[in-house]
Amino acid sequence: MKTINLSTNLATIMFVLAILTTTSGFSQENPSLSDPEVASVAVVANQIDISYAEIAIKKSKNKEILDFAKRMITDHNAVIEQAVALVTKLSVTPKDNAVSQSLLEGAEKTKKMLHKANRKDFDKLYIGNEVAYHKAVIAAVKDLLIPESDNEELRGLLETVLPALEAHLGHAEMVQKKL
Amino acid sequence: MNIILKLLRNGVFLQCIAFIAFSEPVLSQKKRTKHTVEIKKMKFVPPELTIHKGDTVVWVNRDIFPHDVTESKNKTWSSSTLEQGKSWYKVITKSTNYYCSLHIVMKGELIVK
Repeated sequence: MKTINLSTNLATIMFVLAILTTTSGFSQENPSLSDPEVASVAVVANQIDISYAEIAIKKSKNKEILDFAKRMITDHNAVIEQAVALVTKLSVTPKDNAVSQSLLEGAEKTKKMLHKANRKDFDKLYIGNEVAYHKAVIAAVKDLLIPESDNEELRGLLETVLPALEAHLGHAEMVQKKL
Repeated sequence: MNIILKLLRNGVFLQCIAFIAFSEPVLSQKKRTKHTVEIKKMKFVPPELTIHKGDTVVWVNRDIFPHDVTESKNKTWSSSTLEQGKSWYKVITKSTNYYCSLHIVMKGELIVK
């Protein structure tokens, strides 16, 4: 059951990536995401990972999982703060869109799966999801969000976030190997 | 005695005294250099730094995330958490590997030659 749920989560991520990949073909001449939409996707993607980390802090007793989860909360909040400061400066309001909605729908299913998981299985499920989620978000930021950002500062923020996502992925994979 | 008087006359003796008085302490006290390692985009820049024993290394966090600087092998020394824009320094006396304990994939190396 848990495997099915994790597969569902990964399928959702893949579905979102498929949307991103399909639409990215229009990025050069007819961007499918406006800057307010890119900002919305960026904020939502960070909020989702924070919500996963909050579940981990409640359910896990493993120090490495707890340290990782706390790091996700701190770092993703830092990104959100930067994004909010930037959209405020640019007088832009993040705009809800199909990609944000798909991410949120997928996140709801994943959160249910994490909540239902027994403590014995939780750590592996959580960190496995973190590895998959960061891979998906890295691909989305690199292949769609950065190319589709018109504003230089928005693009700059996404470029700053990318190494952090890659560092998080490396960290998650190290924790995963130890479990 | 005649030689000394001769040296004095030529100013050589005074030059020797001046050399001993002012140059000797400088020779015994090696020049200490300050090096800067920037922390940006989840990396220590430069990741590898060659220095002399007793040099000072300053780490400056230019990232939007908090970081720290921690000795790798036994965690014998560590900075506190460095928020954005903050810096920390240490006099380095031996070659050391270090990392960021908050982001464990971030690594750096100091080589004392």
